Amino acid sequence: MTAIAAERYTGASIKRSEDPRILTGAGRYVDDIKLPGMLHAAFARSPLAHARVLSVDVSAARALPGVVAVLTGADLDAMTVPAPDPLLALLGGAGPTPEFTLLATDKVRLVGDPVAIVVAESRYLAEDGCDLVEVEYDDLPPVMSAAFALDPNSPPLFANLGNNIARPHSRHEFGDVSGTFASADRIMDFHIDVHRHQNVPMEGRGCVASYDVDLGLMTVYAATQSVHITRNGIAARLGIDADKVRVLAGDIGGSFGLKIGASREEQAVAAVSRHLGRPVKWVEDRGENLTVSGQAREESFDVRAAISGDGDLLGLDVKMVIDTGAYPGMGTMVPSIVEAMLPGPYQLAALGFESTGAITNKATYVAYRGPWASETFIRERILDVIAKELGLDPVEIRLRNVAQRTDPPASMITGRPLAGVTTKESLERVAQLADYPAFRRRQAEAREQGRYLGIGVATFIEAAPGPRPPGPDGTLGMESMRLRLEEDGSVALFTGQMPHGQSHQTTLAQIAADEFGVPFEQVRVVVGDSDVVPFGLTGGSRSATMAGGVALHGARQLKAKVLDFAAYVMEASARDLVITDGDVWVRGDPATAIPVSEIAQRAASGQFGADVDADLEVEATFDGGQGGWSGGTHCAIVDVDVETGIVKVVRYIAVEDCGALINPAVVEGQIRGGVAQGIGAVLLERSAYAEDGNFQSATFMDYLMPTACDVPRIEIEHLQTVPLDDDVNFRGVGEGGMIVAPPTVVNAIEDALTPFGVRIYEQHLPPGRILELIAAADPGR
Amino acid sequence: MDITLKVNGTACTGSPEARKTLADFLRDDLNLTGTHVGCEHGVCGACTVILDGRAVRSCLMLAVQAAGSEVTTIEGLAVDGELGPLQQAMWDAHSFQCGFCTPGFVMQATAFLGDHPDADEQQIREALSGNICRCTGYQSIIEGVLLAAERNRARSGRP
Amino acid sequence: MLAGGQSLIPLLALRLARPEVLIDINGIDELSGVSATDGQVAIGAMTREYVAEGSEIVADTVPLLAAALPLVGHEAIRSRGTIGGSLAHADPAAELPAVARALDAEFVVRGQSGERVIPAAEWFEGYLMTSRRSDELLLAVRFPAAGPGTGVSFQEVARRHGDFAIVGLGVSLVLSGGVISDARLAFAGLSDVPVRAVAAEDLLVGERPSAELFDEAARRATGDVDPPDDLHGSSDYRKTVAAVVVRRGLAAAADNARERR
Repeated sequence: MTAIAAERYTGASIKRSEDPRILTGAGRYVDDIKLPGMLHAAFARSPLAHARVLSVDVSAARALPGVVAVLTGADLDAMTVPAPDPLLALLGGAGPTPEFTLLATDKVRLVGDPVAIVVAESRYLAEDGCDLVEVEYDDLPPVMSAAFALDPNSPPLFANLGNNIARPHSRHEFGDVSGTFASADRIMDFHIDVHRHQNVPMEGRGCVASYDVDLGLMTVYAATQSVHITRNGIAARLGIDADKVRVLAGDIGGSFGLKIGASREEQAVAAVSRHLGRPVKWVEDRGENLTVSGQAREESFDVRAAISGDGDLLGLDVKMVIDTGAYPGMGTMVPSIVEAMLPGPYQLAALGFESTGAITNKATYVAYRGPWASETFIRERILDVIAKELGLDPVEIRLRNVAQRTDPPASMITGRPLAGVTTKESLERVAQLADYPAFRRRQAEAREQGRYLGIGVATFIEAAPGPRPPGPDGTLGMESMRLRLEEDGSVALFTGQMPHGQSHQTTLAQIAADEFGVPFEQVRVVVGDSDVVPFGLTGGSRSATMAGGVALHGARQLKAKVLDFAAYVMEASARDLVITDGDVWVRGDPATAIPVSEIAQRAASGQFGADVDADLEVEATFDGGQGGWSGGTHCAIVDVDVETGIVKVVRYIAVEDCGALINPAVVEGQIRGGVAQGIGAVLLERSAYAEDGNFQSATFMDYLMPTACDVPRIEIEHLQTVPLDDDVNFRGVGEGGMIVAPPTVVNAIEDALTPFGVRIYEQHLPPGRILELIAAADPGR
Repeated sequence: MDITLKVNGTACTGSPEARKTLADFLRDDLNLTGTHVGCEHGVCGACTVILDGRAVRSCLMLAVQAAGSEVTTIEGLAVDGELGPLQQAMWDAHSFQCGFCTPGFVMQATAFLGDHPDADEQQIREALSGNICRCTGYQSIIEGVLLAAERNRARSGRP
Repeated sequence: MLAGGQSLIPLLALRLARPEVLIDINGIDELSGVSATDGQVAIGAMTREYVAEGSEIVADTVPLLAAALPLVGHEAIRSRGTIGGSLAHADPAAELPAVARALDAEFVVRGQSGERVIPAAEWFEGYLMTSRRSDELLLAVRFPAAGPGTGVSFQEVARRHGDFAIVGLGVSLVLSGGVISDARLAFAGLSDVPVRAVAAEDLLVGERPSAELFDEAARRATGDVDPPDDLHGSSDYRKTVAAVVVRRGLAAAADNARERR
C-alpha cells in the first residue's frame, strides 16, 4: 500500500458523492440547461456520401414561423476563421492537412455532413426548418473502402490533397527484422480485419453557446472530456482570444473518447450564438450520434510472424491500413500507438511495422476507449492460432513468451520498459480460476450432446499512465491541481479532470481527505469551469495516477502550509501539530483541537505581516512519478449454438493489476463497462455502410448495444502489486476492458468451434458469420 | 391542446402541441429534467416513467395522451426528502457511473420490483434488458436491484 | 390511427411518417377486453399487450398467444402496445402476426360500409400492409379456443432478448392418441408477411412425432422460401435458421402437448 497519511478512505469502496443527484434526477446535463431567450439549433444534412453542392436554398426555411435564422456553410465561413481540430493541435496530428469549411459549402463528404444550421424557437421547429432547406447536389462516386481510397483513381475528397491518403505510408523497424525472419523455424502469415464500431455514449454530443454581446464573452455549456480543449477549439474558430471563452461542464452522460475538443457542429453553434447575440442549444439525436459523431476501429492488418518450432514468437512484421473516414480526427495518430504497443508484454526480438491511412466517405475516426486496441487483438489472436498449429496450450504459449520481471526491467522492442508488469502472474491466476482441466472435461461432455462450449484467454498491458519516461503525450505528462482550505473548513480541489462517469468527485476526495485529515464529506472536488480549473483532460487511463497523485502530493503540501499557519495561530511548533477529522491539535493534547474552518477564517481575516503566509492555497503539479503499466489477463467461456450461430458468454474472469485501488467499486465498474463494450463489438455492434455510401446503422434497431442479458457476471481479482512508487501506486483502468475483451471472446469462440477446424481472423461475429465460418471450414456438415 | 395531469402527486397543466412527446413535455414544459432522452425511438429506456401504475417509455407517448393520468418520474421517488429504498440500495451498490441511463433503470426497476418482489437475478436481467447502459456492464445495477429486493423482504419479515 | 403508439411514434420521431391528423383511439373503452364465447376468444383491438399477457382466458384457451406475448419487445412496450395495433401494423418480423396466421384468427373491422370479418389469410397483404381499408377501424381479433391435446411453442432466433425475430415460428399441434391430428406453423421474418408452412403441415397430420418426421417437416417448410437480406441476417442465414426453428418448435410443441394434458 502507499505511505498515505491515513487510510480511512483510500482503498475502500466509499459511496459516491455524485449519486444523490444522479439517483434523484438532479444531475445537470447539457440538455437540461435552459437560459432566458435560448434558441434551438438543428442541422440540415446531406443524404449523399459524396457530392458537389451546387446550390443551397434556405429561403423557405427562413420563412417558416418560429425559425429565427438559417445559416449556410458560406454564411458561417464568413463569420469564422479556419482552425485545426483542437485535440490534434494539442497532440500533434500526423499527415497532410485537408482544407474544408466548417459546414459543407462546395462538397459533402459523408451521409449526414451538415450543410446548414437552422435556429428556431424549439427543436421541433428547427427540424421542420431543416426539412425546408433545399440543396442541389451533383453526385460523385463514393469512396467506401480503404482499398479504393488508396487507389489513385479514386475521386479525391479534398481538392487540396489530390488523393485520399490521410497518413502517408511509413515503415519502421525495431531489432533485426530480416535476420530474425531468416533464422526462424517457421513463418506464418495472417490477414486480420477489425470492423468499424463506435463509442455510443448514452448522452450524445451537444452544447449551449451563449454570447454576451455587451461583454464580448462567449460561454459554452459543454459535454466534454476537457473544458480547456473545448475552449481552445471554439476560440480558435471564432477568431477570438481563449480568455474570451468560458466553458462550463456539469454532468456528462458518457463519452469514451468521443467528446474531446469541439465538433464542427458545436463550433457552428457558438458562431451562431455570437451572430444572433442569443443563447443557442444544440443536442444531437441518436441518428446524428450514430451517423456522424465519429466511428472507430476500422483497420486491417497483414501480419507475418517469425516463430521457433517450440513456440517462441520471435518477431512480427505488420502492415496496417486504417480507414480514417472523411474529416480529420485521431485516426492518423493511431498507427503510431499501435506500433509502439504491438509487442505488449512479450519478448519480441524484432518488429517491422508499416502503415497507411485512408480517407473515405465515412464518419471521422475518433478516439474510442483504447484507440490502439487492435494491437492486442492481433497479437492475442495469432498467439492462439500459433499455439494450435504447434500443439501448444494457449496459456502455455503466452507464459513462454512473456517478458520476465527483471531488475532493471525488460524493454519492449519498441522502447518502453516493462517495469512492474505482472502478466505472468495474471496468466497463472486466471488459469487457476478457470480450472482448465475441469473445463475441458465439461467441454468434451457438452460436445457429445451437440453443445459447443469454448474457453479463451487474452492478456494486455496499457500505459496507465505508462512507465518513466513519459510517453509521446508531452502536454499530458504533467498534471496540475489547485487546493485551498476554505473558510467553511472544506478542502477544495480544483482540477482539470472532467469526469463523465469516472467518479473523480469521490476518488480524489478520498485521497485528499486521507492525506489532509478531514472527513470525506469535507472535501469538495471542483470541475468543469475553464475560468477556474487548471488545464486537464480526462482520458487515456491516466487520471488515477496523475490526478490521484497530484491530489495526494497537493493535499500534503496544503497540509504543511496550513500547519505552518496554524502553528503561528496556536503558538505551537508545526512539527507537533496534527490534523484529524477536520481538527488541528497538538499531538497528545486533544483539548487544543481547533476546527480547520477556524484556522481558515483566521487566515482570511487578513491581519498578518509579510512573514506569515496566510494564503492557504497551493498549486501542485505531478509528473506521474514512476508511472507504470496496468494490465491483466481475461478469460471467457462461451456457448455457441452451431445451428443458429448465436453466442452466449456464460462466464468471464478478469485478473487485473492496476497497483493500488483508490475505490475498488469504481475500478471494477470501469473494468466491467469496458468488457461489455468488447462483448458488444464482437457479437452485436457494427457501424455499417452500404456500397453507395448510405449509412445503415442509424438507429438502435440496427446498431445493437449489449444489454443485461448479454453481459454475464464478471469475476474480478486484483493483483495490487508491490508499489513502483512509495506514494502514488494507483494506476489507471479506464481502457483495458475494452482492449482485451474482444480477443478474449473471439479466442473462446474459436475454441468452441475447434471440432470444425474454424480459424477466425476478424472481430465481428454475428450469428450469420458464425455459420459461414463453420460451413467454410467444414463443408461436409 | 390543453391538458391536466398529475405528476409526482401534483396537478399540472400545460398546452403542448399535439406532436410533442411526453418526455419532452416533462423536461421542457414541467422542468422535470430528470427523465432523459437517449434515442427517441423507444429502444434505450432512459425515458422510462411510471404512468397509471405501469412503466412506459415517455418518448413513445404524446404528451396529450397523458391527460388525466398519474405520472411518476424519478424526481417523485424520494420519501419525505430521503432517497427511496431502491435509490438507497443502488447508491450502496455503486450501481451507476455517468448517470444518464439511471432514471430509466430506476423507474423500470421500481415498477418491476413492485410486481415481482421476489424476482431472481435472471428475471431481473430480463426485465431490465430493455434499458441500455454503456458504462457499467450492468452487474452493479443488478446488484442494486437485488439488494433493494432483499431489504424489502427483510423489512416485511419475509426470508 | 394512434393506438399503442409503440411503432407509430418512432416513425414520427424519425420523420418517416408525417400524418396531418392523428386519431387517438386510446379513450374508446369498448375496444378493450378479452372475452370467451362459442369456442372463440375475442380480444378487443385496444387491449394492451400486458393485459392479454396476464389474462387467464388467454393462458388457458389461446396458449400460442400466451407463449408469444412475453417475447414482444420489453415490458414497458407491452404496457402501451395493443393486440390490435400490432396486428394492424403487420410487421412480418413481429410475433403476433405469426400467431394470428398460425391460428387463422379473424379480424373484425367496421367502416363506412358496415362491419366485416376478414380471415388472417386475407388480412396480411404485404410489408406493413393489411386489407383494412383506410375508412375501417379494427375492432377486435378472434382466436379459436384451443381444444384438448393442443401443444404450442413460439421459437425465436433473435440477436438479443426482446428483439424482433430474425426468424420466428409459432407452432400449434393437436395430439390425439399420440398422433398429430392438427398442425399449424407460421413464420415471422421469412417474408413480407407471416407465412404458413403448408407443406410441412400436410406432412405432419396423421403422423406420430419423431425427430425424423420433424427433420422432413423442416425441409418441406423451408424448401422454397426466399427470405429477405438485412443487416441482421442474409437470406441464406434465415433459410438455414428457419429449418432449425421448425425442428425445435415441433419438438417443443409436442412436449407441450404432453404437459398440458
